[in-house]
Amino acid sequence: MSDPVIVIENLSFRYPGADTDVLRNVNLTIERGDFVAIVGGNGAAKTTLCKSFNGLIPHYWSGEFAGSVTVDGVDTYTSSVSELSTKVGYVYQDFQNQLVRPTVRDDVAFGPINFGRASHAHDTEAALRSLGIAGIADRYIWQLSGGQAHLTALAGALALRPAVIIVDEPVAELDPARAEEIYERLAELNREHGVTVITIEHHAEFVARYARSVVLMAEGSPLWHLPIDEALARTDELEQHGIPAPQAVRAVRALGVDAAPRTPVEAAALLRDHGIRPDAVQPPERPDAIPGRIVARVEKLTHGYKAVGGNVTSVLAGLDTTLRSGERIALVGGNGAGKSTLLKLLAGIIVAREGEVTVDGRSTRAVSAREMAVTAAYLAQHPQLMFLKGSVRDDVALFPRSHRVADTDAIVERVLDRVGLTPLAERDGRTLSGGQQRRATLGIGLAMRPRLLLLDEPTSSLDTQSRDDVTTMLAELADSIECTVVATHDMQLVAEWASRVLVLEGGQVLADVTPRELFANAELLERVRLRPPQIAVLGRELGLDPVPLSVGEFVAAAHASRAELEVA
Amino acid sequence: MARVHHDVLSVEWIKLELIRTAYATRGGLFAAMDPRAVVIWYIVLAIVPWFTHNITVLAGLFAIGVVSIVAARVGPLILGLFVLGMGMEVVYMSVAAWLFGGNIDTVIALAALNLKLGVVALASMAAFISLDPEKLSDALLAFRAPQMLAFGVSYGYRMLPILIEEFSTVFEGYRLRTAPPAKKGLLGWRVGVQWAKLAVLSFYPIFLNTAKSVRTTVEALETRGFTHGASNANGRRIRMAKLRIRPLDVIVIAATGVCIVIVFGIGATWPVYR
Repeated sequence: MSDPVIVIENLSFRYPGADTDVLRNVNLTIERGDFVAIVGGNGAAKTTLCKSFNGLIPHYWSGEFAGSVTVDGVDTYTSSVSELSTKVGYVYQDFQNQLVRPTVRDDVAFGPINFGRASHAHDTEAALRSLGIAGIADRYIWQLSGGQAHLTALAGALALRPAVIIVDEPVAELDPARAEEIYERLAELNREHGVTVITIEHHAEFVARYARSVVLMAEGSPLWHLPIDEALARTDELEQHGIPAPQAVRAVRALGVDAAPRTPVEAAALLRDHGIRPDAVQPPERPDAIPGRIVARVEKLTHGYKAVGGNVTSVLAGLDTTLRSGERIALVGGNGAGKSTLLKLLAGIIVAREGEVTVDGRSTRAVSAREMAVTAAYLAQHPQLMFLKGSVRDDVALFPRSHRVADTDAIVERVLDRVGLTPLAERDGRTLSGGQQRRATLGIGLAMRPRLLLLDEPTSSLDTQSRDDVTTMLAELADSIECTVVATHDMQLVAEWASRVLVLEGGQVLADVTPRELFANAELLERVRLRPPQIAVLGRELGLDPVPLSVGEFVAAAHASRAELEVA
Repeated sequence: MARVHHDVLSVEWIKLELIRTAYATRGGLFAAMDPRAVVIWYIVLAIVPWFTHNITVLAGLFAIGVVSIVAARVGPLILGLFVLGMGMEVVYMSVAAWLFGGNIDTVIALAALNLKLGVVALASMAAFISLDPEKLSDALLAFRAPQMLAFGVSYGYRMLPILIEEFSTVFEGYRLRTAPPAKKGLLGWRVGVQWAKLAVLSFYPIFLNTAKSVRTTVEALETRGFTHGASNANGRRIRMAKLRIRPLDVIVIAATGVCIVIVFGIGATWPVYR
C-alpha cells in the first residue's frame, strides 16, 4: 500500500567549516502523490533539508554527511545532481535568479536540451501548457511579472518530468493573489499528474488550504509529520515555532470549538449556530475624525510609460485626490494599477505627462526631485536597493549628514533605537533578515524627517512574525510623520493599520473608503481581485455588518452576543 | 524652469534603447537571417578594409556599411554615439596634428585609419544589433566556441535589462538622499562632478546584490543539467538543429561580395592614395 518516494534514514549534515550539525538525525518518509508543507521557524533547516532531496547536499555543498536519502529508488549519495534533477524539481525562494535564458520558452527548454532529450520540444510545450503559460512563451524574462516568472521557473523544473517538485516559500516574493494562483497550479499538478509536491511555507492559511500533510521542523530535525487535520489542531505548538494559526482557526478555537477549519467558509459553517448578532461588531471610535490640513493634492494626473515597442502604456488617467495630515492611506489595486507610479509622482521623482501634484503647497514641477526629497520620502519596494553604504548606521545617516542637519548623530541614534536596530547598526543591510531589512529602510525614511512618507509594499516577502512587527512599527510612527501612504497587496496590513483606502483601477480612484467598508463590499473586492483577511470573510459569511477587522473584534462581538442571549 | 515629462533623451529612454538594441526588437534585414550567416558577413566586412590603403575603396566600403546599418534599423542612441565618436575623433586628430606640427597630409593619413575603423564599427553595429541573445549564443556554439562562452553571452544579455533597472534605482536613491552641492559652479560643474561620483558609487550596492543572487543561479544551473550538457554532445546537436541557411542568407552574402568587388574595381580605376 505504502509507496514512499523519498525515504530519509538517520540523516545528519554539517556545512563545511560549521561547528554544529544543521540537520540532526532526520528520519522522514514522504509518500508518492502527497502534498507536503514543511513548516518551522527561521533557522530550522527547512531549505537545507530540501536541498538534500535533489543531491545539492552532499554533491554541491560538500560537508559532513551521514545517513541515507533515497529518492524514487535512487540513493542520493552515489548519484549526482544531474541525475537527481530529473527526479526532483526545485523552485527557489528567489526564483528570478534561476531563470538563465532570455526567453520563456528557451528557459523552460534549457533542462531537457542539456540532457539531450529527443522529446525536448514536447516536454517543453507540455510544461508550458500544464501551467497555463503557453501564451507568454515568446516573452523575454525581464518582461515577466513576479507570478509569471515563478510559473516559468516551475515550468523549467517540470519540463524534466520529475516525480517530486519542491517549492521554497512561493509567498515570499509574490503577492497573495499570485501565490494563490501558484498553489492552485501545484494542487492541479498534484491531483491530475500525481506529482509529489513539497512546499516550504510560513503562511498557515496556505498550508491549511492546500497541504495534505505537514512536517514541523525545529533545530534541524522534524518534530512530527502528520496529516493536515491533526497538524492544524496543534495550534499552540505551531505558534511556538513561529507559525501562528490562520485567523479562521484562531477565531473558532477562541469560541471554544475544538476544530481546525481549512477555510473561512468552513469556519462559518461551524459558527453559524452561535447566535452572533449581525450588528455585534463594535468598531473602535477613531479619534482622528477631524480632517487635518492638506498635505498633498493631486489633480487630473495622467501618466504612462513608453514600451519597448514604442507605444505608450497608460497607467494613470486623470486621477484626482487629496491627502490630509493624520491620514494613514493604503493604495490598493491589481498589478499595473499605477500604485508605484502614483507614489513616485507624489515624491516628485518623476513628473506626469499631464496634471499637477502639489505637496506641502509646492508643485512638484517647480522643484527638483532632490529638493522634494526633504518633504516627501519614497522607500523602494526592494530593501537591498536602498542599502547604499557599508552599514545600516551609515545608510540612515546618509541623508541628514549630507544635508548638514544640526544634530545628525543624535537623530541617527534615535532612529536606530526606534526601529530596534541599534545592536545591528554596524552590519551591512544585505546581511540582515527580511524583517530587519524592512525596519532598516523605515529607519532611512524616518531619518529624512519627511512630512509625507511613501512606502512601496513594506510587508511583502515577510513571514507572519516580521510582518506583524512592521505593521506595529508603522502604527507607532503616526506621531512623527504627518501623512503616510502605503502601496500594498497585504490586506491584513490594510485591516490593521490603514484609516483610508484608495482603490486604484483603470488609472483612477475607483473607491475611496475605510478598510471596513472595503472588506464588506464583496463586489468591489472581486472586481479588483483583492483577497480580504480571513476574519473579514468569516464575518461576511456570518452576515455581520460592520465586518470585523481582527480576531479580537470578532471574539468580542461573539461574547457580547452571548451575554445578551443569556440576559434574555 | 518647470519640469516636464520627456519621452526622448531621458534615463527611461536610454534604458529602452539599450534593451531594443540588445534584443533586436526593431527587426531589420539581418535579424531575419541565420546567425551563422550574419557572423560570416560581419567577419568579411571587418577584415576587408585592412587590405587596402586606397581611400576610394575605403569610402566605398564605408558606404556599404552605411547601407547595412540602415537595413539593420540601428536605433538613434547607438547611431548618435557612433556619430559623436567619429566627430570627436576628427576634432581630436586635427588638434593632435596641429599640436605636433603636422599638416593637412597628416590629418588625411590619420583619416584613412579612421575610415577603416569606421567600416568595422558600422559592420559590428549592423551585425550585433540584429542578433538577439539566443541567436548569438547559437552562432557561437555553431562555430565551436566553448559552451561556457556561448552561455555566458546569453546570460549576460538576460541580466542586462535587470542590471540597468537596478542601476537606475540605486542611482536615483543616491541622488535623492544626498544634498546637491551648495554652489553649482561654472556651468554647474560641481553638479556634474557629484553626479559622476554618485554613478561610480552606485556600482557598489549592485555588485553586492548581484554577488548574492548569483549563488542561486549557480546552484540552479547545476540542477538544470548545465554541466551535464557541457559534456554531452546531444544538447549541442539539438540547439544546432533549428539553424537553417536559407536563400536570403546566401543572397545577402553574395550581394555584399559583389559590392566589395565593384568597390575595389572603382578604386583601381580612380585611386586616391596618401
